[in-house]
Amino acid sequence: MAKDRSSSSDFTGPLRRLLLAVLVLALTGVFLLWRIDSPRVERFRAQVTDRFVPNLDWAMAPVTGTINLLRDFQSYQRLSEQNRELRSELRQMQAWKEAALQLEQENARLLDLNNVRLDPRLTFITGTVLADSGSPYRQSVLLNVGARDGLVEGWATMDGIGLVGRIAGVGKNTARVILLTDASSRIPASIQPSGQRAMVTGDNSAAPPLDFIENPELVRPGDRVISSGDGGVFPAGILIGQVAADPGGRLRVRLAADYERLEFLRVLRHHGNEKVPDTAHVITSDGPLADPAAPVGGNP
Amino acid sequence: MTDLSRSRLWLMRAEFVALVLVILFFHLLPLETTPRNWAGPDLILAFACAWGLRRPEYVPALFLAGVFLLADLLLHRPPGLWAVLALIGVENLKSRGRNLRDASFAAEWVSVAIVVSLVIFGNRFLLGLALLPTPTMTLNLTELAMTLLIYPLIVLVTHGIMGVRKTAPGDLDALGKRV
Repeated sequence: MAKDRSSSSDFTGPLRRLLLAVLVLALTGVFLLWRIDSPRVERFRAQVTDRFVPNLDWAMAPVTGTINLLRDFQSYQRLSEQNRELRSELRQMQAWKEAALQLEQENARLLDLNNVRLDPRLTFITGTVLADSGSPYRQSVLLNVGARDGLVEGWATMDGIGLVGRIAGVGKNTARVILLTDASSRIPASIQPSGQRAMVTGDNSAAPPLDFIENPELVRPGDRVISSGDGGVFPAGILIGQVAADPGGRLRVRLAADYERLEFLRVLRHHGNEKVPDTAHVITSDGPLADPAAPVGGNP
Repeated sequence: MTDLSRSRLWLMRAEFVALVLVILFFHLLPLETTPRNWAGPDLILAFACAWGLRRPEYVPALFLAGVFLLADLLLHRPPGLWAVLALIGVENLKSRGRNLRDASFAAEWVSVAIVVSLVIFGNRFLLGLALLPTPTMTLNLTELAMTLLIYPLIVLVTHGIMGVRKTAPGDLDALGKRV
């Protein structure tokens, strides 16, 4: 018996070892290829995901629904408390609504006065979230819209309120959104009343820190952070969140989008900012260019 | 007899792949979109260890490489790195399976602990070496601890529910030979 066993392992052992060596080499090769030529491998990943995940959708939706139902059940227990909170919030909201209506009218009047044409090309596609990244190391979600719907890498994604992330990896039917909280996310932003430029750098925490602020003394917690559109990939002026200072004194962004429940996301179509190639020429020859700026400064 | 055991062999291999797909399915459910500072256990690696130690022929290297690479691609990890480390780890356990067959569960647990921690920290080291961002230490440590804590449960499920048991002396292998 012992002889039999050793002879069989003599026969299969080298083959098995050879197969293992080939597999190890192949996997290492995949990793090195990804490190060197990441876009190609990421495209392959997008294709695999595209083939795999939409097939599971029929099962994912009911299971997710059931689990969310069970989670909601816990929150029903403190229903009356929530109700009270909501009522007081609603009272505050009504005051804000009044202010918003007045501002809207004023805004419309001013836009009319200035003859402003809003960018008509900034339209959006809405998709639902199919899956999340599945591991605590990465923060991303998968949408059910893809190249079929004309999606392009780099487009901004937001929920109803604020920026959520950017498209990275487009398959035929699916697209991956890298959330602002992911460690590889870098978004140029501007901080509102002071106009300071900064980068929102994700670090796998719920509130990404603000880096490269020109003059941090001008930035206060509570300031609005909006996308600046620098780099030309992203549309400018989308709300990201509010500045907050963590206990260590570092400035972070409290995100406006509701990351607890990412269900429907808008992908903003964006065709790049138009460049002004030689500014000197424009300023010297186009005298009227300075005119529309004058009433803006004069009105408020 | 041979036909029966051969079909059982392929049935169990298919069962392993199906198990991995179910785990991936639950990973991908869009339930957790906020960052958290702890990580759950790596069930795929733990199941691969448990199966590989009990019945190495049910989890051949090719299958292991395939499912690990698929997990890398779907879970948005650097493709191939985790897969190659996990493959080497599980193959190493498989080669030691014959010695661990008669040992106690504690010995098995210790050897699995060594392999899992080498995989996790090897992954971390190589990520750093390739100038990629490494996750925080808390994530790695909680993943390691959770995987090791849940391992006895996984062995229980593997042994009791899935019927993947260690070969006893005198059992026949898939080809009808004594193991």
